[in-house]
Amino acid sequence: MSDQLLEQVRDAVEGQIDFEGQRLAEMLTTVLLGAAGIIAFFVGYVTQDIRLSLYVGLAGTALTFLVIVPPWPFYNKNPEGWLPARNATTATSHLNIDVDGKKVG
Amino acid sequence: MHSALVRLQNVFGFFTTVAFSVAAVIALSSFISPQTPNASIQLRNVQVVKGRPHYYSYKKEEYANIRFDLDADFTTLFNWNTKQVFLYLKAVYPSSSASEPASEAIIWDAILASRTAPWHTNHYIHPDPKSGKKKVLPKKSKKAQAASKTKPTPDDDLLFPRGELHLNNQRPKYQITDITGKLQNKNNVTLEIGWNIQPWVGALTWTNWQKLGAWEALKGGRSEAFEFPEIGAKKKVDKKELETEKGGEGYRLEVGGEQPIRKPSKV
Repeated sequence: MSDQLLEQVRDAVEGQIDFEGQRLAEMLTTVLLGAAGIIAFFVGYVTQDIRLSLYVGLAGTALTFLVIVPPWPFYNKNPEGWLPARNATTATSHLNIDVDGKKVG
Repeated sequence: MHSALVRLQNVFGFFTTVAFSVAAVIALSSFISPQTPNASIQLRNVQVVKGRPHYYSYKKEEYANIRFDLDADFTTLFNWNTKQVFLYLKAVYPSSSASEPASEAIIWDAILASRTAPWHTNHYIHPDPKSGKKKVLPKKSKKAQAASKTKPTPDDDLLFPRGELHLNNQRPKYQITDITGKLQNKNNVTLEIGWNIQPWVGALTWTNWQKLGAWEALKGGRSEAFEFPEIGAKKKVDKKELETEKGGEGYRLEVGGEQPIRKPSKV
């Protein structure tokens, strides 16, 4: 029981996401932070108030943290499945598993 | 980017890059903001006296008290990236030996705050040219006073637009002395204005005597040459004429200023 609870806590803290999710997170970081920086400059320049630049920039950064850091469900839409269980010696013979060009299994 | 910790580090890392880049662009944006400063300075009165210019002077020396008129428009020095402008007026006179560069001594200065700078006691308050006194603001409650002290001074509370100066027969803030202890009969003295623009982000910039892109050269900025008179040329020197202006920086221990309290000597 306590083991199970601990497992859940660890999963929540680690917040693992799948490969496609990692690609998406990387792209979103660049786009969101870059946009926040550009918008921050222009908002400040147009209103001639440098503090507005600071606040827009910080708000954009906070938003980015919120979008990227937690393991949101849309980062786990393409989970990588496990191979089928190998209960007999011949069970996997119909699968082609390549490791660095060498056929294994 | 597989775990939350790695994503946290990646986002923060890229944030620092973005913050630095935006700061760099803001710093560069100062250079495309046009500047058209102009200033006219006129000497009103100059006196040289022998005495102790400061209470800590250990010997008598010659010091000069220079009064001036200043009409200046530095409004264009304030752009969105300006925090404050430090203005100073200096007396420039040739050194005793011709091979040495001219001596410069600051006689008056002021910190002009921008619209975005929070209130500070050292910020310059323009005196009213009619009464000669500092503008008395309408009375506020103590709470409102305390609240306004953290906020920038609004434009409505200013006598002139930010950066505009109209000083008439202005007393100097500092009396000047020379390293040789002698000032009388010096020729070819001029008053010269100078400034530092202190930005929120970017480089500190000095007076532009030359045109630099969108920054026009300062128009005027120098007074006509005059000379330090001989001591005693004027029979009686009124003590009031030797007074200096006190800034907001607290009292200064100078002639006519606050004197330290001494224990009465036992004689």
